[in-house]
Amino acid sequence: MSIATQPLSLNINGKDVGPLDVPEGLMMIDFLHEYLDLTGSRLGCGQGICHACVVIHDKADGTSEEVRSCITGAHWFQGRKVRTVEGHGKRNDKGEVVELTPVQQKFLEHFSFQCGYCTPGFVNGATILVEQLKRKPVAKDKVDETITTALDGHICRCTGYVRYFEAVKDVVTSTPGLVLANTTDSGSAK
Amino acid sequence: MQRPAFLSLARVALAALAAATLAAGCGGDTEAVAPAADQAPKGQLPPAGQIARGRYLVRAADCAACHTAPQGAPFAGGVELASPFGKFYGTNITPDKKHGIGNWSAEDFYTALHDGKTPDKHLYPAMPYTSYRGLSRADTDAMYAYLMQVKPAAVPNRPHDLQFPYNLRFALAGWNLLFLENKLPDASTGNSESWQRGRYLSNALGHCAECHTPRAAFGRMDLSRPLAGAALARVGAPDITPAGLATRGWTAADLQQFFATGIAPQGSAFGEMYPVVHLSSQYLNQGDLAAMSNYLLGDKAPAPQPVKAVSADAAQLAPGRRHYVAVCAGCHGREGEGKPHVAVPMAGNSTVRNTDAHNLIVSMLDGIEAQRFPGLEAMQDMPGFATRMNDEELAQLANYLRATWGGQPADVTPAAVKALRAAGPGH
Repeated sequence: MSIATQPLSLNINGKDVGPLDVPEGLMMIDFLHEYLDLTGSRLGCGQGICHACVVIHDKADGTSEEVRSCITGAHWFQGRKVRTVEGHGKRNDKGEVVELTPVQQKFLEHFSFQCGYCTPGFVNGATILVEQLKRKPVAKDKVDETITTALDGHICRCTGYVRYFEAVKDVVTSTPGLVLANTTDSGSAK
Repeated sequence: MQRPAFLSLARVALAALAAATLAAGCGGDTEAVAPAADQAPKGQLPPAGQIARGRYLVRAADCAACHTAPQGAPFAGGVELASPFGKFYGTNITPDKKHGIGNWSAEDFYTALHDGKTPDKHLYPAMPYTSYRGLSRADTDAMYAYLMQVKPAAVPNRPHDLQFPYNLRFALAGWNLLFLENKLPDASTGNSESWQRGRYLSNALGHCAECHTPRAAFGRMDLSRPLAGAALARVGAPDITPAGLATRGWTAADLQQFFATGIAPQGSAFGEMYPVVHLSSQYLNQGDLAAMSNYLLGDKAPAPQPVKAVSADAAQLAPGRRHYVAVCAGCHGREGEGKPHVAVPMAGNSTVRNTDAHNLIVSMLDGIEAQRFPGLEAMQDMPGFATRMNDEELAQLANYLRATWGGQPADVTPAAVKALRAAGPGH
């Protein structure tokens, strides 16, 4: 029995990859691990529940979304732009990480993760949220709710939820322009 | 779909009005019927036995579906029932004297279930007295005994939100005169004791026909096509005639498993059937479940049909296969085999095998919420793809599924997807 393959080209962390011959049924997480040696994305439940495997899909309209790489075929990403946890920090010419993003930095400062298995998913989810708030800031009294809703799907078996929450709230409130000065009540009519 | 029928509703109201006048003039009423096959034990049960029996029957009749709101007190009403005529709200049927039925006699209760009349008004046929009419007096007495001892809840009834002229309650006398039948037709044939018991359970108690029988003009059941399937809600009630079930591979044993657990090799209960399993069918004893299955398929059940060979060529199905592998196979399996406790198999799935692609398209557009079934079984939530896939892609996907695992033609058009998308929750 031979495995049917198809050519796959995509952009990962700003670099064009492919065309590579990839089995038609291969899931994205396996493609990242086995073909590109990008092992930062974590395979947790393997069934789309835990969100440890989440990667960022940058859409053509400039917005981004979470995609669960364990249940999404690699070929779904044909021609698309993707960011994984390896793509966030700034690197030098040797490829070493020299600067973390504010999300990553605050996760460290708040001791958000323990075993770290869910962290790549949380980094990606929080990064999407921060970018979304840059485009569309949130009212002051909606910050907590917005963070909770945005990251609600991510599971942490070490139960570091509070410290993840505090770290994300720190990023959101300390980055200029993400939060509106007014509250929903004092703002324009809903 | 049923719009033309409703356009002529003003005329209906007039006809009903005329009929109501006629009825009042004659002093007539619907003819008294002998109760259907009475399964009541011989002789009077002791009160505790009567209440236990009533509890079983109230579950079999799925009263809670409309009369117990999520997070609400049991039987205190409030469940919304959307219809083309407006919104109905289930009423309080606790023994509360002010808001519930605490002042009703057993006779009043029987009359409500049998004739659609309470001591002070006509009921709308959203309350399925059209089916409950087949209940025996002994059974309604047991149900009454059970309901009279649940905790009274002082929860006021919410008025129905109906458009004119359906808000004219008096017209219902005319509706009843015209459309209230003493006996519902059978889709299957049989005469065994089990089949007869199944008829009583399915037609009178379970009121299957209320959703599964198509509706004709004026919201009445189209009794020429019993249980042939209807799309009253977003998720349609499929064809459950013997032929319809057999073409989708159902056997009596599978049906029985489905009623008891919500899961069978043909798929899981979703849409409005999901609460039916939770609130009603899971509580029925094995004998009654066998009887219902037997009634639906008939004493001589047609053989379940194997899935036909792939009905379209590979080139035609290639785009659909690509979508399937990209966004479905992770849970439903690359060859449609499903994943235990995650997602049901697509191979041989009842919705995929349905001639009518309605529910397949709706499921792909809207997704299905996470489900827990009686016992330990559960299925994960299925995301809706309305925002991630366009009409053409979803049509290709539906056609791939239908042709590959459903034995159905690859005939779903982007226009069909578009129409259901437009009627969906996001619009």
